[in-house]
Amino acid sequence: MDAELIERAQGGDREAFGQLVSRHYDFVHATAWRWSGSSTDADDIAQEVCVKLGAAIRSFRGASRFRTWLYTLTLNAARDHRRKLAREAQTFRAYAAEPPQDAPGENDDEISSELWAAVRALPERQCDAVLLVYGEGLSHSAAADIMGCSEATVSWQVHEARKRLKAVLGKEEV
Amino acid sequence: MTVDKELEKLSHSTPPAATPEARARALAAAMQAFDTAGNNALAPQGNAKGWRQSSIINWIWSPAMNKKFLAGSALATLLVIPAAGYLTIELTRNGSPIVDQTEIAGNLSRGEASKQPVAVAPQAPAENGTLAEQSVVDAQALQDKETPAVAKPGAARISEFDANDIATLTNKSEGSATALGAAKRSAPAAPGIAPQQQLAEPMAAIAPSPAPPAEGRVQIQLDPNRERFANAAANPIKSVATDPVSTFSADVDSASYAFVRRSLTGGAMPDPQSVRVEEMINYFPYDWPGPENAAQPFKATVTVMPTPWNHDTELMHVAIKGYDIAPATTPHANLVFLIDVSGSMDEPDKLPLLKSAFRLLVNRLKADDTVSIVTYAGNAGTVLSPTRVAEKSKILSAIDKLEPGGSTGGAEGIEAAYDLAKQAFVKDGVNRVMLATDGDFNVGPSSDEDLKRIIEERRRDGIFLTVLGFGRGNLNDSLMQTLAQNGNGSAAYIDTLAEAQKTLVEEAGSTLFPIASDVKFQVEFNPERIAEYRLIGYETRALKREDFNNDRVDAGDIGSGHSVTAIYEITPKGSPAVMNDDLRYGAANNAPAENADTARQGEFAFVKMRYKRPGEDKSALITTPVNDSNAVAAVDAAPQDVRFSVAVAAFGQKLSRIAAVDSYSYQAIADLAAASRGADTFGYRSDFLSLVRLADGLSQR
Repeated sequence: MDAELIERAQGGDREAFGQLVSRHYDFVHATAWRWSGSSTDADDIAQEVCVKLGAAIRSFRGASRFRTWLYTLTLNAARDHRRKLAREAQTFRAYAAEPPQDAPGENDDEISSELWAAVRALPERQCDAVLLVYGEGLSHSAAADIMGCSEATVSWQVHEARKRLKAVLGKEEV
Repeated sequence: MTVDKELEKLSHSTPPAATPEARARALAAAMQAFDTAGNNALAPQGNAKGWRQSSIINWIWSPAMNKKFLAGSALATLLVIPAAGYLTIELTRNGSPIVDQTEIAGNLSRGEASKQPVAVAPQAPAENGTLAEQSVVDAQALQDKETPAVAKPGAARISEFDANDIATLTNKSEGSATALGAAKRSAPAAPGIAPQQQLAEPMAAIAPSPAPPAEGRVQIQLDPNRERFANAAANPIKSVATDPVSTFSADVDSASYAFVRRSLTGGAMPDPQSVRVEEMINYFPYDWPGPENAAQPFKATVTVMPTPWNHDTELMHVAIKGYDIAPATTPHANLVFLIDVSGSMDEPDKLPLLKSAFRLLVNRLKADDTVSIVTYAGNAGTVLSPTRVAEKSKILSAIDKLEPGGSTGGAEGIEAAYDLAKQAFVKDGVNRVMLATDGDFNVGPSSDEDLKRIIEERRRDGIFLTVLGFGRGNLNDSLMQTLAQNGNGSAAYIDTLAEAQKTLVEEAGSTLFPIASDVKFQVEFNPERIAEYRLIGYETRALKREDFNNDRVDAGDIGSGHSVTAIYEITPKGSPAVMNDDLRYGAANNAPAENADTARQGEFAFVKMRYKRPGEDKSALITTPVNDSNAVAAVDAAPQDVRFSVAVAAFGQKLSRIAAVDSYSYQAIADLAAASRGADTFGYRSDFLSLVRLADGLSQR
């Protein structure tokens, strides 16, 4: 189904492309939300991914790996977004007389916010690995495909992340 | 495992559904991007002319980048880099590069370069450096040119999309590390830098004195850890025959001790550059006999005793106690707090500690005193116009509201603070700007020199300056010292609230109320009794001999109840410890002159002090001869406080790696200090003992 849509979109079929995007929008949005932790940010990231998709779909090869590609695009967009936010916060701090109040987090879900905070505080690669493996329920090899590294590297990243999380969360539990 | 269970939860989380509006917006944007890309795609792809499309730059570059040529420049780079590295190491090892450079500059300007082949050698690295830089620039230019060619979206030749995306991904994650490093300016230096610093320290210690310290305020700035300290090479042993007179300025700062303590309790030996022995000695309150009335602002007590670390020398211990103004008669104070609230102050040991410290101080002030607050960060602002302490709650809430943010513009802030101090000027009272900073307060066009000039100008208005240093990692101690010395004030380093309590509450009198300014010391040694002498500490305070009587030359200030202690290690005539040989031609001429006055024969030395009363321009002189009645036969016979200050002096010298105390162990210092601890009401001396033990432990590693 996807393969057909992609092929038609690559041929210049607007309708097919529209279908393709709307089919995957929710997936992109959900992934973006997991990585950013805020639905407003997720909206922005998802839109960014859609624009990239529109610009790049014609040059995409390897239809079977569309999901993987989407993941990669979304992860990159989420990372760019996070950096942009950090930069803006810094600029703001530099110019404003008073520092901004930290915007209240919008992750209104049942997961303990400590866990989220801990996972997001991990180094970027470890954070990606953990979210892909645990958050998205992917296998290590699939995660490796998305992250563009070997399976062993993913396993190592996950292992490192767990060590770190154990230290962080364990301290809070005791 | 709990982590596993916790992590399982991640997958159970249900992402919130996207809002329809956002979805619609995203889809519209996607379609637009699709169309734009489509339009580009409609343009014919490929090139009918049969050669690859490339820019004129590529035309020029392609032949230039031919492998044959590349090999040549790569080889050159390979040769240049180790050579440059080797020369850099050599330069560092051979002592202070700063001095070399000035020498070279001087030689070159005199046109003597050709006569001095040695002086030219250090230039080589500079040339190599430019070469290496050049090649780096070239390489970068190349990259810059290539990158757009690859990244061009319309290029339509990108077949391995995944590969490209992943490549950017990896590049970014690498880039982020550097970006983060650059962005977090206030962050403490990376751990990787520490060992280098450790390496640099012994080198600095061994480096030969670049200039005689008599020059004064020689500042060698090694820049490890971005902290800058003012210190000069340790005072050398001087021969009484050639330099019978030693002149220096009073120093009542205590910043160095607090910094040393912070370093030791943090588990690292302090940077020898950060140790100023006189500040360590003067950190402790001593019970020297003070003057009876305010007419004579201070009194000197001199003790000559055997040196604990050298059997063949003696110590001449000069202790000065300032007159203690009774609290009831303290003059009115007009204080301006100039507070650094730049982004770097956003650390627990900086702004929050600073707030607590100032709260302590405000609580100690009298109702008639006035306080104003100026902040500087980005732009300087007056937070609180001069307010009487009677309205304490207003002052305290203004302190509470301070928030960190922005970069630091020190010059503007200092101007604003001095203006406020002038506005609320109290005649016959104390007018003082209290500058609190973590060091780097000079982002802006003005240099350290300009800041110094501003402060020197304002000093004439009768406004004093106290500099309080906070935090670590960024501390610009040398600028703090310069400002405090030129602003008629003192510098203190506040690392804990206890230190704030000591500086601002217990010693508020001496911190706030000056009783004498421009206090200078001059000691003349009698060559009949003393062969050599060495002043312990006061390296940054050395004055020229003729400046002693020159009232225009600025010197240190003494506050109410302050004590200042200076210790000389003196070598009696005929002692086996004499380092300098007798002069073959000098002795014969001196002899008849000395015989003229037999009354002075027995004296060791003659101590002279000059000071100005606050607000006066002419200095007064106090003199004290030192003779056998000042001498004690054994270390244990010396007064308790003298023994303790000698222990501190020994410790300070050990930390700054002065060779004279090499054979004297930390344990011996601890024993000496423990035996002379006394009542120790505030526990400062016990604190010192634990520092000695820490240093002992650390040095054995």
